[in-house]
Amino acid sequence: MVRAREKKRGLLIAFEGPTGAGTSTQRRLFKVWLEQQGHEVVTSKWISSRAIRPLMKARARLHALSPEELCLLQAADFRHRLETQILPALWQGKTVVADRFLFTSLARASARGLDLDWLLFAHAPLFWPDLVFYFSVSSTTSTTRVAAAHAPKFYDAGQDVTNIADPIASYRRFVGRMIKEYESLSLIFQFVTVDGEQPIYEQHRRMRQLFEEKRRQPWGQWNLEAVVEWLAWSPAAAEVRRGASIGR
Amino acid sequence: MARRSAGKGRLIAVEGTRGHELRDAAAELWQRYEVRDVPGGVSSWDASGIFSDLRVEKRKHLSLSPRTLVLLYAADLVFRLRWQIRPALDQDQVIIAAPYVDTAVAFGVAGGLPGPWLTKLFAFAPTPDACYRIKEREKASRTKAKPLDGYVEFCAAILADGAAPVGPSELRQRMAAYLEEEERKNRCPRLTKRVISSQPA
Repeated sequence: MVRAREKKRGLLIAFEGPTGAGTSTQRRLFKVWLEQQGHEVVTSKWISSRAIRPLMKARARLHALSPEELCLLQAADFRHRLETQILPALWQGKTVVADRFLFTSLARASARGLDLDWLLFAHAPLFWPDLVFYFSVSSTTSTTRVAAAHAPKFYDAGQDVTNIADPIASYRRFVGRMIKEYESLSLIFQFVTVDGEQPIYEQHRRMRQLFEEKRRQPWGQWNLEAVVEWLAWSPAAAEVRRGASIGR
Repeated sequence: MARRSAGKGRLIAVEGTRGHELRDAAAELWQRYEVRDVPGGVSSWDASGIFSDLRVEKRKHLSLSPRTLVLLYAADLVFRLRWQIRPALDQDQVIIAAPYVDTAVAFGVAGGLPGPWLTKLFAFAPTPDACYRIKEREKASRTKAKPLDGYVEFCAAILADGAAPVGPSELRQRMAAYLEEEERKNRCPRLTKRVISSQPA
């Protein structure tokens, strides 16, 4: 069933990078371009699952989360988004652009001192995007852009681990650790790096080029595991289980 | 599992598939300590409020899979360890965790999740000094179980609404089979009156 769907499935494109790297701007531009190319596009944003987001927001407001709780709730959000937004869309042949997918959770939790091996387990089975764009910026650029927009929130600024009262000063320290983790993940998982310090249109042009050069490949073993589990158990796949294709 | 500090505190896990029975068994066990003025208490499911906050009355829209439900249990357990279990152990108290890790692992296995993933996920939880499973009745009491009665009731309600391949009674049977296997391996014996009365204070 999964193999039969392989040729018709949609593509998953992830945009990763620290705050202020330009992921959201580039995601919006890229989405418009994809639609102009005839793709039916669905956007999935980080920590946006309808079930988990309210839980996280309430607890984040109270500054009540330990790094492990934060990580496990983010892992639950990832799984829920994957099962209710991303996989149903891919199954229907839509293209999904994920404004931060999995690696932002991993980079932030690693920067909080959690063990990467355990983090990968918590997020397993991993689901591999067809393309991961990593927007690389220096910690100075990220901090300057963040400070120009608004003061980062408690957990975004890493105040739970830096213990620095000023959100900008805390962010400056935390983003350095975060970028280091992104760079390691980028090497391990072979992200496509986009220089986030370049002019916006230059970055966009480069992304189009990289996307067009990208050859479609079959889902790997991890993805197959995730899809098989989704089909067997997820309430969001109930219709597929009943033999009907979702929405069509 | 994570190592324990070398204090005199005692962590007792009580596992089972029915929330009410778990609560009653934990209370009965705790009474054994309470009458002797032993400091400590019981740590129950959903101390963090994660599950109650999910607004179970709207569960048809939640669409939570077994894996997401296990991740949420793990997040709740981290909260319980942080605010209830570890502080009690650090103060040399007796803490009864009902349920603890095995109930969630049993649910995960019954829900088709791989055992090694479950074991590794809960590696943060310290090994209990003792683990018991409660005696399960063949059938539930006449009063219909509500989703917030316990973790398994919650998960069964969610999965039933999502047309899961396994219904609530089969889910419970699979879980009971896992816990029985643990009992056979002497990892989690049954909590009997005799066991309760023999608890050291």
